[in-house]
Order: sequence, then C-alpha cells, then structure tokens
Amino acid sequence: MAHTKPSSPAPDPRAEPATEPDPRLASGGRAPEGTPLYLHLPFCVALCHYCDFFSVTAEGQDIDGVLEALLCEARLRAPASPRTVYLGGGTPSLPSAAQLRRLLDGLDACCGFRASAVEVTAECNPESLDAAKAAALLAGGVDRLSVGVQSLRPRLLEQFGRVHSASEGLDALAAAREAGCENLSADLIFAAPGLDAASWREDLAALLELGLDHLSAYNLAFEEQTPFARRLARGELVAQPEACELEQFRITRELCSDAGLEPYEISSFASRGRRCEHNRNYWANGSYVGLGPSAVSHVGGVRFGNPRAIAPWREAVCAGRPAAQWSERLDADERLGETWWLGLRTAEGVDPRLARRTAGFVGRDDPAGTVAADLIAEGLLEERAGRVRLSERGLPLADAVAARFLGGF
Amino acid sequence: MDTQHIRNFSIIAHIDHGKSTLADRMLELSGAVSKRDMRSQILDDMDLERERGITIKARAVTIEHEVDGERYQLNLIDTPGHVDFSYEVQKSLQACEGAVLLVDASQGVEAQTVANAYLAVEQDMEILPVLNKIDLAHAHADEVAEEIENSLAIEATDALHISAKSGTGCEAVLDRIVERIPAPEGDPEAPLQALIFDAVYDEYRGIIVYLRVFNGTLRRRAMTRMVGTGKVYEAVEIGRFAPVMTPSEELGAGEVGYLVSNIKRLGDVRVGDTITLDKGPEVAMLPGYEEPAHMVFADFYPTNPGEFERLRDALETLSLSDSALSYQPESSDALGFGFRCGFLGLLHMEIIQQRLEREHDLDMIQTAPSVTYRIRDDDGTETEIRSPGQLPPPDTYADLMEPVARTTMLTPVEYIGALMQIASDHRGTFVRQEHLSPTRVQLVFDLPMGEIIYDFYDKLKSVTRGFGTLNYELLGFHADDLVRLEILVNGESVDALSSIVHRSQADYRGRQTLKRLRKEIPRHLFEVRLQAAIGSRIIARESIAALRKDVTAKCYGGDITRKRKLLEKQKKGKRRMRQVGNVDIPQKAFLAVLGGEEK
Ligand SMILES: Nc1nc2c(ncn2[C@@H]2O[C@H](COP(=O)(O)OP(=O)(O)OP(=O)(O)O)[C@@H](O)[C@H]2O)c(=O)[nH]1
Ligand code: SF4
Ligand SMILES: [Mg+2]
Repeated sequence: MAHTKPSSPAPDPRAEPATEPDPRLASGGRAPEGTPLYLHLPFCVALCHYCDFFSVTAEGQDIDGVLEALLCEARLRAPASPRTVYLGGGTPSLPSAAQLRRLLDGLDACCGFRASAVEVTAECNPESLDAAKAAALLAGGVDRLSVGVQSLRPRLLEQFGRVHSASEGLDALAAAREAGCENLSADLIFAAPGLDAASWREDLAALLELGLDHLSAYNLAFEEQTPFARRLARGELVAQPEACELEQFRITRELCSDAGLEPYEISSFASRGRRCEHNRNYWANGSYVGLGPSAVSHVGGVRFGNPRAIAPWREAVCAGRPAAQWSERLDADERLGETWWLGLRTAEGVDPRLARRTAGFVGRDDPAGTVAADLIAEGLLEERAGRVRLSERGLPLADAVAARFLGGF
Repeated sequence: MDTQHIRNFSIIAHIDHGKSTLADRMLELSGAVSKRDMRSQILDDMDLERERGITIKARAVTIEHEVDGERYQLNLIDTPGHVDFSYEVQKSLQACEGAVLLVDASQGVEAQTVANAYLAVEQDMEILPVLNKIDLAHAHADEVAEEIENSLAIEATDALHISAKSGTGCEAVLDRIVERIPAPEGDPEAPLQALIFDAVYDEYRGIIVYLRVFNGTLRRRAMTRMVGTGKVYEAVEIGRFAPVMTPSEELGAGEVGYLVSNIKRLGDVRVGDTITLDKGPEVAMLPGYEEPAHMVFADFYPTNPGEFERLRDALETLSLSDSALSYQPESSDALGFGFRCGFLGLLHMEIIQQRLEREHDLDMIQTAPSVTYRIRDDDGTETEIRSPGQLPPPDTYADLMEPVARTTMLTPVEYIGALMQIASDHRGTFVRQEHLSPTRVQLVFDLPMGEIIYDFYDKLKSVTRGFGTLNYELLGFHADDLVRLEILVNGESVDALSSIVHRSQADYRGRQTLKRLRKEIPRHLFEVRLQAAIGSRIIARESIAALRKDVTAKCYGGDITRKRKLLEKQKKGKRRMRQVGNVDIPQKAFLAVLGGEEK
C-alpha cells in the first residue's frame, strides 16, 4: 500500500527530505489575518489506485479524535479571518453530518471564517454525499462543493479503485444542487488507459449538460509510488500515447468553452465569477496555512509541511506543539522562478513586475524576464497587455517551459 | 635474510581459477592473517575488485614457511587473470624466480592459462602447475593435466591436486615452492640494484614504491637514486607487505618490499626504473618493461569543461599505479578539451573510467572505444590516425590500415562451427586449429582489433555459452576497404560520434548507431534529425519527434515543493548533457557507435 498506516511512524517515501523546520515560522508565529486556510481530512472509504494524496481507509479509525486534533491545530495556528477555506483530503464528506458540524463550529469559533471567507470549499465523494450531508455542510458555512466524479465509465471507475458507480456520481451532483449549492464543481480524469477520445467527448458532454459552475479535468498521472505507477512499470497498464492525451486535452478545452466554462488554469474551468479563489492563491504563489497530516503551509516566505502520518502529527498538535516535519526557504531568485512557473499555469499568466514583488526580488536585471523573452521568441510564450502567458503551443508544454525558470537562472 | 632462504613467485592463471583464494590459504597457513581476520580474497582490497569479484592489480605479500626446521621467506605476488591485465602479470613475473600456474580442474586450460604460462616461459623461470578446485564434482584433473602437457609442453603428471577453497593440498604447494623454485641469486654485498615493479600514490605519504632488490642491501635512511630519472631521495621508510605494510631496517638482495620517500611529484617515479645508492658506484639498469601495446582507445572529456586540469591530475595519479594506461590531450568540436586514453582492453577502460569517477569524483563523457588506424601515402609513409575525426579525405592517401590481432580461442569442441562462423562474419582469417584433448580445441584466427572490441567478444561468449575464452596479441596493421561513418545531428556532423568501419558493414553499422542514438537522445521541443553518412552519401536516417506534451495536471499548495524538485532534477540532468548545435546529447549516446545486440 502506498499509504502510510496511521499507527506506523515509518517515514513516507514521498515525504520531503528531513530538513529542520524553521523554528520561528513553523512554530509559534501565527500567519497574518486573512491568510487562506486549508484543512486536510485524511480518510477515504478505500484508497484509489492513482491517488498520491495522504489518506487512510476510514474503517476502524478514530475520526472524532482526528477532527478534534484538527481543531487543536487550528487553535494553535489558524490565521484569524481567513479569506478562503478549503476542506480537502482524503474525503471531507466522509464524516457524519454531526461530526462535520462540530468541526465547522469549532473552526469558526477559533478563526471566524464564516464572517470572513469569500469562499469555503469542501471536497466530496459520491459515496458519502447525499442531500442531507450537503445541507449540513452548507449550513456549517461551506458554500462550494467539489465532487469527485472522476469518470462515467464503470470499467474506468473500477480500474481507478473508486467505490461508487457512475450514476452515484451524477446523483451526488444532483443532491448538492438540491441542497442549495450554488457553486458546484466536479473532478474528472481523462486519458486513462483505455479511454478513447470519442468516449471522453461523450462523458464530458454529458457532465457539462448538468450546468456545473466549475470543472477540474485532469490528465491521468502515474504518480510515483502509487499502485498505478507500479502497474505501469509491470506493463499491466499502458499509458496513452502523447497524441491521444493531447487530443483529449484539446477536446476538454473546446467542450468546456462551448459550455461557458472558461479555462483559467491547465486543468481548471469555470463560469464567470466561479474560479476557485483558494486555488488561484496557490498559483499566485501566495501564503497559506495548511492543517492536518501532510498539509503544507507557506508563510512569510517559508514553506513547511506536516508529516504524512496521523500519529506523529496528532501527538504534536494535541500537545500544543506544531507538527511541521520539514521546511524550506528559497532565495529570491528561486522564488522568482517559482512564481513564474506557477503563474504560467494560469490563463492570465504573469505580470513580471508583480512576480518580482511577490518573490521579494530586488536585483536590477530580471533573470526571469530574460528567460521569458527567449521563450517568446521560441513561440512558447506570448505577451499581451504587460502580461506573459503560455501560447497555444506552449500550453501543453507547461513543464518544459517551467523548467527554464527553475533550478537557478 | 640470506638469499638461500628466500623464494619469490607469482600465482598465475586464467581468470577465476582461484589465485586469490590460494593466496588466502597461504596467508592463513603462514599465520600472516589470523583465521578471525580472514575474509575471502583478502588481497582484493580495492572496492572495484570486491564488487566484481576479480583481481585488477597484482599484490605482493611476504610470508614465512618452515620446511625441515628451516624458516623461509616467501614473497608471493597474486596476479590478475583477465586478459586486459596481463601487463600486471608480466611486471610481477619480472620480480620472481618462479610461478605457480593454477588451473581449474573443472574448466581445464583456458586462453589466459596459455597466455600467462607463455609469459613465464619467456622469462625462463620455474613453473609449478597446480590443479585447483578438485572438490568440485565435475573436476577431471587427469584430463586437465594432459591438456597442460599438450598445450604448454609443461610436465604435469606430478602436478599437485588442491582445493584452494577447502585448503586441501595447499600446504604441499608451499613445500614444493621451497623445494623447486630456485632461490634468488643476488649478492647482498654488491652495489644496490632494485627494480621498481609497481607504485601507488598515497595522499599522506606520497608515492609508495614497490621494489624487488636484485643486488646489494637497501637500508633505512640511505640516500637513493633512480637510475633512469636521476632523482635522489632519502629512504624514509622501507619494509615488507605482511600483508599490511610493516617497516623494517633493511631489504637485502632477493627480497621484495616497499620504499617510502615522501615523493609527491608523480613524474619522479617510473615503474620499471632501477634504484641504487646515490653515492655508490654506477650500476646498470635492470631490464625494465616494454611499453604495453594499447589495444583500445577512448576519449574522456570532463562534463564540466572547467575540470580539465582535475582530469589531467587524476589521470597522472592513476597512471602511476597503472602504467598500462596512456593518455594525451585531445580536443573535439562537440566535446571540447579532454584526453585520448589508451587501454589494454575494454575492461581496463571500464575500470579506469570508474576509478576516475569514484576515486577522483569526476563526471565525464566518454566516447565509444575504438582502435588506432594508420594511413599510408603513395610513397609508403605511414601516419597514425588517432580518432576517426582526424581522417583526411579518401583521395589524399593510398591505404587506410587497421590493427589486426592474432586471436587464440579455446573452446569445447561442440562450438567450433559456431566460432568459425562468427570469426568469418567479423572478417577473421583462419590460422590454425589444434586439439588440446578429445573435448577441447584451440582455434587461431587473425581478426581486426576493431571487430573484437565492436562485439566479437560478446558474441564468442554467447555462442559458446560462456565456455569459450580468448586471448589476443597485436600482429600489425593491415590495409582494408575502410571508410569513415559520419553521424549528423540536425545536419551537423558530430566528430565524437563518427567511426571507421569496413565498407561492407557501413550500412548496417550506420543503422544500428542511429537506432541507439534515437533511444538515448531525449525528445526536444523540435524534431531532431539523425543521419549516417559516408562522404556525401546518406546511408541511414532516423528522427526523434518533437515533444508536444509535458505538463503536470495537478499542482496545488501541497504539491509545489515536490513538483518543483522534480522539474529541477530534470533540468540538472540536462545540464550534464553536451549541446551540439541546440541538441542536448547525453553521455550514454556517445557510446552508441559501439556494438552489442540491439534489444
Ligand atoms: N569449489 C571451489 N571453488 C573455488 C576454489 N578456489 C577458488 N574457488 C572459487 O572460484 C572463484 C574465483 O576465485 P578467485 O580466487 O577470486 O579467482 P582468481 O583466480 O583470483 O580470479 P581473478 O583474480 O579475477 O583472475 C571464487 O568464487 C572462489 O570461491 C576451489 O578450490 N574450489
Ligand atoms: S477518494 Fe480522493 S483522496 Fe481518497 S484515495 Fe481516492 S482520490 Fe485519493
Ligand atoms: Mg584474484
């Protein structure tokens, strides 16, 4: 199993190298008021074969205890009045309505998010989202639901190791609407082994019929150390050829645009006013606070993360100590490169001046600007109205472009 | 120690016949190493030796042995068996009066058994055949003794039967050494004459010289002079290998040991030189060593061009302890400044490359191994062509000549047909065939050296299921219809990828090379075109399609650090490649002109 069992303190192989967390920032210091807040709920009914998020099977777990620990950590580190809140995981819809209510009440009591947040998202899975659960989330202060539909093909859902059917996926979306959710998103995966372009077009069209506010459509990735990566290595799964992936990527953009969902990031599509503010902050290389096992925070120029295991995290936060296990502080050049990389993932692209400010870069010559100029000449980037973005050709090559900004100029 | 109580011998054999294991038993029997400290092949102490389970460098050790109440000093040298290190055997024998010729009784006489035995025969020394591994069920000692007599004309009826592994019969080997190998003849009172048969560089102590005293006595604190280089140094420490360096006050005639003089300048010591006393009378040089015939050449370029000097220093240090390595500065349009190195074979090359990387922490690009060619003008003048890039246009010379090696193969009889076939496929000329025993045969062919290193050796091993063995000696240069195979990357000829091949094989080799390059060169944001050409004629093409998709689907707050590191790692990998035009060519691609089955 790729996932660390909660009881085993063995380091997760995907954990960051053990760097000493910056004592000032990873510990006592509270992030400024308004900083976006992320909570990681590390439980799923079963673990999907492609997934590399930290999560454990819920059966037999002390969910109440973990939720209580999340509140301990919130009291320790949550910023006051966060601008956005995101419940991710894992499966945040898995706990009972009552458990979720307690979590949200407790969270509001310590940071007042209900009054401050412009967006409060909860990730949900079809098997645990019915109208009542949706209503409980909405009543607790959540205003955006993101449902992991992933596929409408029974064969693929099985291949993924999902525990719900295609119709349960659609039912969950309907339930969310029924409960009054006005900002509804779905996750879908394309270019999975065996998914051809025509089927993808059909499924995507069917989903878009429902009039969603937002869609996240991911090209399947064989993440290291997942069952999928192992099956790929053993030849039991075959990745789609590049041309097929590209075709499905293009179909996605075309159909979403036709349905009024504009692409605003590589894998994200939204109708007017429905872009995910919480995620946009990541791509702007902004600050955020993450609570829960494996959660990462970015505060005051330092990025640091909690362990990818429940026990050590829980022990620390319940004892009133921060749980951070690693941290990194980049220098201005590196931060500048990172800001460009993340920003170029978005449709609005990068404003070079703003990027320098975000990165705290004070040098006279902008090394990123020089790289960008080369890439513009190569036709991978384009400039419009003072902002630089990926060109049509550059878009599917975002990582190759990013590499030019990373690892030192 | 009076010379009558000294015996100097080398253990020689084909690879893996058990030399180092026999040395272990001898160290044990003499008490030089206690049972507790013993580990298998204890003299193979280089990392690479232990990893590969083979001896690379000869090692000298002094042990004691008692016969009839008399104590003898035995200086043994464990030598490597692989064909590429036969130069080590040659050097070791020069310091000895006899050799133990070990033959694996389950395998029989093999190519390096013959070759190394001949080296001993040439030195006119006492050879003691010993049959090893008699513990193995399929050992057939009597038949093997017969093979020794047939192939080497060495009397083997009373050869000792031993198991170096279990120790059976090993003490008898020591007794026989004392009995049969002559004591050294030197005169301890004569002027000092000692042969430098090896040297290694020690960071703290400077150069450690391995020597064999032929005449006179070397005492601690004496001022010594090297007859060849004329350098004078004080003998700060002298001693014996027991097996660790053990200081002593003197080394007398006939003895083997070491000398430390705090010599830091590598050029001051030459293996093969003679050491004498500075103030003593003039002495003659002892017979030194012939420069070995380099069979294989390859270029080393530092991945980081700024490390050229470091590479030079490293090569200088290595060549002190490995005098079979040659190097000279070379430059390439594609790869910049580096060194063209000469080796005794492919394994030798691999070992040097790994030692440079490990012991000297260097990152290098290595070109595919090749041989040296010669061109001959109409008037008969010959010019050496060190690398294919240097070959002038075909109309400027009369003949292009390649090195040809007399190649001896020993094989079980059932593989004769297959061996004949691959030898003729590789442009071999049949010389002779001899039966060593009813089941084993020796085949001699003259083969172009370039064919041997291209893939002949691999083929020989595969068609004989590993039972065939091979030895070769340079015979001379022969003209043939050879052409330069050029490789173009996006229209630009890359000198470091070109090779010289026989015209009849050019098409095939060209296609193979491109296929390998296609696998090694990563995709770029543009199409990469590969062509193989002879003169202006394109004989093969391949292309590497442009990369069209490379994008991470998910990138949120928790992913940023890890994904960034992945991207940085890819970029670092790229930095280690060489750019030709705007194409990044990885290190391994430069080996693409080498043969081997295309899987
Ligand atoms: N069964 C058996 N195996 C032996 C005997 N002597 C050596 N071996 C094995 O043969 C293998 C090679 O032994 P080495 O002593 O390394 O051979 P070598 O001749 O020094 O090899 P190189 O130095 O590489 O030429 C090892 O696995 C030994 O354990 C023996 O008497 N009986
Ligand atoms: S439900 Fe979501 S978080 Fe859980 S394993 Fe599946 S994809 Fe991962
Ligand atoms: Mg050995």
